[in-house]
Amino acid sequence: MTDTQSNTGDNGSITREFTVLNKFGIHARPAALFVKTLSRFQSDVTVERDAMVASGKSIMGLLTLEGYQGSVLKITATGPDAADALDAIGELIARKFYED
Amino acid sequence: MPITVKDFYEAGRETLGLEVESGEDSLDQAIVEWALNRPGLALAGFYHHFAHRRVQLFGLAEYSYLKSLSPSVQTERLEQMFKRRIPAIVITRNRRATPEMRALAMHYRIPVLRTQMITGKFINEATMLITHLTAPSMRVHGTMAEIMGIGVLIEGEPGIGKSETALTLIERGHSLIADDITILRRTSEKVIIASAAEVTRYHMEIRGIGIIHVPSLFGVAAMRREAALDLIVRLQRPTSEIERDRSGLTPQTREVLGIPIPLITLPVAAGRDLAHVVEVAAMNQKLKDLGHDAAKELDEKLMRLLLERKQKL
Repeated sequence: MTDTQSNTGDNGSITREFTVLNKFGIHARPAALFVKTLSRFQSDVTVERDAMVASGKSIMGLLTLEGYQGSVLKITATGPDAADALDAIGELIARKFYED
Repeated sequence: MPITVKDFYEAGRETLGLEVESGEDSLDQAIVEWALNRPGLALAGFYHHFAHRRVQLFGLAEYSYLKSLSPSVQTERLEQMFKRRIPAIVITRNRRATPEMRALAMHYRIPVLRTQMITGKFINEATMLITHLTAPSMRVHGTMAEIMGIGVLIEGEPGIGKSETALTLIERGHSLIADDITILRRTSEKVIIASAAEVTRYHMEIRGIGIIHVPSLFGVAAMRREAALDLIVRLQRPTSEIERDRSGLTPQTREVLGIPIPLITLPVAAGRDLAHVVEVAAMNQKLKDLGHDAAKELDEKLMRLLLERKQKL
């Protein structure tokens, strides 16, 4: 599993870390899938890598993170369905965005 | 619906200079086989494989030969042609039907047309006209505009803003082809030409205003008679369905008269400047047609970069 730990923040936000598994990393197709998956959830999601932060619902934002294979994404979800959103994203990452 | 000699005559009156030499009341003859035949051999008395379903074209050679025959032989040879129910005769170079031809044409109720054009030119022009008349076509619900050389069909349910989008496109200097109902015609293996229905051409209906005459309000440059169909833009109320692919990496197409046409689905949200988005979609399509796929190029660049940095897991 890539999902290392869960932290619950003051405002009820949940943060987990994921390692990017697919060979080509977060390029356009995975980013689009990422955004599409999150569009089903109400929660706000931010994705952080190496001090760069982007919205999980922005394709262009996710691309700027340069999430290569092996890099770690710190994903924070805030909202009523935060845990479900993180589960869905976790599955996507674990399944290598249905790529490799 | 079969195309008749009348359709051919009416469409070719101006471009081909067609006039009715005789048989004005028999123009309803259907033309089954859309091609021209020069009946030289038939006139010489050889009728095997005579292409009697085609329009028979009398050029200078056929005409001179016919005139060289005695009236009785003329009648005999021509009658063999008429008996086979040819759809029509066209005589070029403004020659007139001989009395024998005229009599037989009346008797068999087959129209004779003539043109001032010389035969070679007539064949070229008539073939183009025939291609136009016989091209597979369909009527679609949609507004057609031309944006910087890109023909865009805007689709969507009534009231979603097709005409309003077109109106804004006109104001931005683009042209309208058809509002609401567009006629599509496949003129070659790869090209679909869009035009307006004859009666409503140059008009639009805008909710709250009514019917407007586009060139009177916006100038003649605001309208074009036809444009090639390069892109279909579908306006749709936002659903999760549309979110299928937001990266633009997997372009969609729709088969129109057997030709795949690029298709874009635009979610219509309040405050969105649809005309502007359609404009960008058209330009992006133009760029793709020129061989630049922005989504693909950015993705390739990104993948190279990500591969370089990739770490062992």
